[in-house]
Amino acid sequence: MKIEVKCSCGDGNCPEWAIVEIQGMIEVQPCFKDRIQNLEIGILCRTSSEENYTFTVGYHELSGTKMKLKKPYLILKKKRTIFESIPDDDEEEDISKANSPKTETELEVIGIIRHRILFKTRPKPLISKPQVVVNEKKSGPRTVAVPMVE
Amino acid sequence: MEEDPGKSGSGGGGAEGIINLKPNSSMPISYHPSFGPHEDLLLLEVDEKLLPHILHQRVTVRGECDEEAVLCTSSTTYAIKFVGNSNSIFLIPPFENSEFTDENGEKGDSCKAAQVLKLASGNMELVEIAPRLGKLKSLLMENPYRSEEDSVDPMEEEEYLERGKMGLYRWEDLVAKVQASDEELRAELKALSAVEINGYWRIVDDEYIDVVLSMLLHNSVLFGWNLTSLNEDEISSVLESDGFSRRISLHNLEVYGNKLDTDMEGKCVWRLDEKRICVHFAKGVLKEGKMKMDRFMEEWVQKIPARMCADFEMLEGEVLVEKLGVETWVRAFSVSSLPLTPADRFAALFREKQKWEMKDLHPYIRDLRVPGVSAEGLLLKYTRRTQPTPGAELIFSAR
Repeated sequence: MKIEVKCSCGDGNCPEWAIVEIQGMIEVQPCFKDRIQNLEIGILCRTSSEENYTFTVGYHELSGTKMKLKKPYLILKKKRTIFESIPDDDEEEDISKANSPKTETELEVIGIIRHRILFKTRPKPLISKPQVVVNEKKSGPRTVAVPMVE
Repeated sequence: MEEDPGKSGSGGGGAEGIINLKPNSSMPISYHPSFGPHEDLLLLEVDEKLLPHILHQRVTVRGECDEEAVLCTSSTTYAIKFVGNSNSIFLIPPFENSEFTDENGEKGDSCKAAQVLKLASGNMELVEIAPRLGKLKSLLMENPYRSEEDSVDPMEEEEYLERGKMGLYRWEDLVAKVQASDEELRAELKALSAVEINGYWRIVDDEYIDVVLSMLLHNSVLFGWNLTSLNEDEISSVLESDGFSRRISLHNLEVYGNKLDTDMEGKCVWRLDEKRICVHFAKGVLKEGKMKMDRFMEEWVQKIPARMCADFEMLEGEVLVEKLGVETWVRAFSVSSLPLTPADRFAALFREKQKWEMKDLHPYIRDLRVPGVSAEGLLLKYTRRTQPTPGAELIFSAR
């Protein structure tokens, strides 16, 4: 199988996405679990000093910095095109072939990420109304092989 | 938390808003109206030098369903590895992004918010690797070209599956099956002496190419051709009258000769390569099994064309020499018959012979290439070295 990696944005015009990265996880209060869409996570604030940011989540304040990624990330979207199955004269002989329409996978570059705002400090408690809670969890990155996308 | 409207001040939301957030301003971050797992969105870490290749659509992902995917540029193959990250990575698309609107076509209520579309669990990264070419030879060996009757008429356009069943592969079939970049695939086809006949890549059967070469050499005696200056047209038409297609006689010249300049009338002139011809006949002599050195040399010298000179050095990487008591024996052992990956190659070598001296081992490993690993590195990884006495030759054995 050969999968074309498409890019319709051309050189230099790739829409730039952003990454906000925190250590640990954001835990949503149980009553919001099922309707998380549009829910506010927190407020990102750039302080007066150059690349310093705070991210206020519930009654926790995180401080972090904006950094340029050493190597940019591309955002790829996996697309599947389904072809009409070709009429087969020997349909009875080969039912499995006739029943499965041909699909072709395509990868399209839809964006690029060059910066991330990383919050790697422990949260500082604020006195405020609790909304969501940040859980700290640390473990090293791990590498596994990716199976061939279909 | 309540946003202080006075402090928010960079204009639009989305990724642009975050990247361009001005000092002393703030911006709410919320979940996107279509926040979800979005498993079809992948993050790929890409080196700056590779970026233009991808943006100009010059890369492909290759492999079959049971294989680990590789990404290929025109000349290089990269393994795709997933790197997990225990941090929470919030992925924020640009505000003007028509792709991600909710069912009602809305982009969410707040144009001042950055909206998180997906929580990424990690990213993929690319690691340059040696192409995975081992499969190519076995594909082409399914149906080697044995005679002119084996040539398939290009008019009979067959279904892809039918071609696969017959062991016939076009360039695009090979690209879909072999995990290597175009350049690496082409180089390996050349190394395997494969030839494209009527649109299919074929390996010509040893016996058949032997027949074609013999016919060429016979004719060269008959017509008084000079083996260092052979006219392609003349050869092709003579061989054609003997029943060999023009493509096959040209292939024969490609395998055993080098193209010299085209002459003044625009005709191609070829020079047969002494070493390749000699190696061919040495292999033929040793086909039956191992032989005593004296007898082998005698038979070999007899086989090769006049004015060519057989030299045992030519057989580096093709034969092994063995001393049994006072006798010296030789047997065929061709580097081209060995696996292409270092681990399998060394295993095959040590199965053949437990102990190797460097000068014998070198011809069998010099073609191994692993990005980022030197030849010395390969030896350290796959061999153990001993030295029976100080000053003696190093002996390599399996680890």
